[in-house]
Amino acid sequence: MKNSLKFVIAGLMIMSLFASGCANQSNSNSTGASQNSEKYPTKPIELIVPFAAGGGTDLVARALAESMKTELGKDVVVINKTGGSGAVGMNEGLHSKADGYKLTMATREIVSLPLLELAPFKTSEFTFVGNVNRDPAVLVVSSKSKFKTFEDLVADIEAKPGKLKFASAAAPSIYGIPFAQAANLDFITVPFQGAAQAVIEVLGERAEFGLYNPGEVTAQIKSGDLRPLAIMAEDRLEGDLKDVPTMKEKGINVGWAGTFRGLAVPDNTPDEVVKILEDTIGKAVKDQKFIDFMAKQNLFIDYLNAGDFEAMVEKDMKAMDPIVQAAKKQEN
Amino acid sequence: MDSFIQLLQGFETALTWWNLLYCLIGVTIGMLVGVLPGLGPTTATALLLPITYSMEPVTAIIMLAGIYYGSLYGGTITSVLINTPGEAASVITCFDGYPLAKQGRAGTALGVAAIGSFIGGTVSIIGLAFIAPPLAKLALGFGPPEFFALIVVGMLMVIGLMGKSLIRGLISALLGLILALVGMDTISGAVRFNLGQDFLMNGLDFVTITMGLFGLAEVLIGLEERMNAGKPAKVKGLLPRRDEWKPTLKAIGRGTGLGFLIGLIPGSNSVIPAILSYSWEKKIAKDPSRFGKGAIEGVAGPETANNAYSGSALIPLFTLGIPSSPTIAILFGAFIMHGLTPGPTLFQTNPNIVWAIIASMFIGNLILVIMNLPMAGMWGKIAMIPTKLLYPIILIFSVIGAYSVNNNLWDIWIMFIFGIMGYLMKKLDFPIAPLVLTFVLGELLETSLLQSLIYFNGNVFGFFQRPISGTLLVISLLVLIISIFTSLKKKRGILASDVEM
Repeated sequence: MKNSLKFVIAGLMIMSLFASGCANQSNSNSTGASQNSEKYPTKPIELIVPFAAGGGTDLVARALAESMKTELGKDVVVINKTGGSGAVGMNEGLHSKADGYKLTMATREIVSLPLLELAPFKTSEFTFVGNVNRDPAVLVVSSKSKFKTFEDLVADIEAKPGKLKFASAAAPSIYGIPFAQAANLDFITVPFQGAAQAVIEVLGERAEFGLYNPGEVTAQIKSGDLRPLAIMAEDRLEGDLKDVPTMKEKGINVGWAGTFRGLAVPDNTPDEVVKILEDTIGKAVKDQKFIDFMAKQNLFIDYLNAGDFEAMVEKDMKAMDPIVQAAKKQEN
Repeated sequence: MDSFIQLLQGFETALTWWNLLYCLIGVTIGMLVGVLPGLGPTTATALLLPITYSMEPVTAIIMLAGIYYGSLYGGTITSVLINTPGEAASVITCFDGYPLAKQGRAGTALGVAAIGSFIGGTVSIIGLAFIAPPLAKLALGFGPPEFFALIVVGMLMVIGLMGKSLIRGLISALLGLILALVGMDTISGAVRFNLGQDFLMNGLDFVTITMGLFGLAEVLIGLEERMNAGKPAKVKGLLPRRDEWKPTLKAIGRGTGLGFLIGLIPGSNSVIPAILSYSWEKKIAKDPSRFGKGAIEGVAGPETANNAYSGSALIPLFTLGIPSSPTIAILFGAFIMHGLTPGPTLFQTNPNIVWAIIASMFIGNLILVIMNLPMAGMWGKIAMIPTKLLYPIILIFSVIGAYSVNNNLWDIWIMFIFGIMGYLMKKLDFPIAPLVLTFVLGELLETSLLQSLIYFNGNVFGFFQRPISGTLLVISLLVLIISIFTSLKKKRGILASDVEM
């Protein structure tokens, strides 16, 4: 009897611990909200990266967070929330408190996933604060591969329709589909979770080619394990990859395909908070440390302020439409 | 020989007092996060990454790597003492580690795990230092079909861990597979079995489930026994009995080889070598019935395997520039944040940094074994804490752990649900380990199967046209057929074992 009484008391104590814990949390939140309109930010800011640590988006986010921290004087903490090709993290960012303490890395998936009906949100539910980076896709093959030029590869895909394999970093591939459409090619797309896994397939020669962002294959290109054949962009890149031709030069009428990376917040975030964040990003992209880091990793800075970013996203929603139609057709 | 001189130069850098200090800090943090269920090395390295910005690159990576391999030492402790695995690989350690603790031999279990971890860890770092590049190229031959076949072998081994009733074991294993399906399908992006709830879109979390099924269920069962805990036996020292040395060292040797080989495969996880090692030990033991009741090899093998895995899992990173697990992906990020591009060129562009890191891993493993051997006795005493104190502690740690996974209250509720489920399973004599193991392997199994089938244009026989996957699958099939045949003839099955747990 005595023992069970002790247990009940212990149980009650634990429950009360919980209750008080929850109560504290809600208190601190409400006071935080009333303060932040005065001098945002008053506490560390979380930056949700909807992809795994170590990936391209993660790297941009971490470098940006570091430079933003210098500007804001508060920590910007990167949190990786993976799943659903980015939908899980973006959804969490969208449904968090609109007080500017939870930012979301907005990548091109913020446009593609809702169009593909793979996300429980609409692109327009976000307020776009600023874009920092825009990378084209680069087509790579293994350096042991018989394909020495872009023409070699295209000729072989044409000769053997539906036989060659493309290791995609995500499903559906927003790089593979426009490439196939523009060049009227038929190849098999094998989806992987992230470029790291997909690149192994190209290195191991199970897949004939891959389309990734330059930053994702820098190490392997530098070491000579991968051979870049073409990029999907209007103009050639600067830096290490300046000798790689664009697909357009090679006579394929395909425009830019790649990803962008910027910051977004829920659309009911106070304007003054958005403004502070927009200015911070504008300054952060001019930080020499940020510039050096991005250049070294073959990540290309393309700063757009809130208005321009929003316009770019809207334009991309239209550009993405034929890709989405093709992806849906593939599923059926 | 060249590498040997460079390694010595690496030691020169790693042995500066500053780097030594951060190595010590790293492995200590690693130990701690390993001990605390819920808080894993991935979270810890991600949290500490920003702190390292102001450090020298070498120092930063020495510390972060220390967290990574240190956590594997710590993960054993909770498995042995409170039957709650701190990380996935330690699920297997519960099988024999916890019974050993109940017999008052927690110190021995931890001591053996520490020795095994040290040997496995050190050997795999030697491998990383001297034979990494050719091995990494070999591992590139391992694609989705091979991966699928390997996981099938792993799953088959799970059957061997099912305890006295094969049917109950299979039900538990299937439950695990079903639970692995919850959330978004990685190939098509379709959301399944999320009951319309957003928080389930990402699937269930391993940590939450295991803490419920193991930790909470243990508490509930314990409470039923009216806390009349008989005094636990005294901690009997750290080293195995004289007659146990030989089998223990052999198990460590096998675990080292197994862990090292599997670590080379990008995308594998530390559960696979642990399962394989445990099954192997049981298979070749003279008296397999000891397993599950405190067989020292059952702790030594898997614990060694997962540490050997940790060293060789860095090989794809250093030689191909490919991060092969979430924690290593964060290390990858750390390299890049410090202006280094991991990959084959790193050995040429920054040899001093790479070799200093490798050297520091030798030192770190040495620090860990020095820390762990005497401390094993101290930790072992925890098993003697009266249950009325221990249970609330487990409960509090489980709740904090579940919350820290995603900073989400839902995870705590999910843990409670699985705690009740674990309690019922124990009452009804269903083994819990098959559920957890198939849950961990389930997602890999599904993804690699679908990817392979895309490669083969939907032709299942494609698996048999590739040497590695074909061989592994044929062996699995044969073992399965023979064991069904023998059990039909009422003989002892090869797989469905004789072990009660």
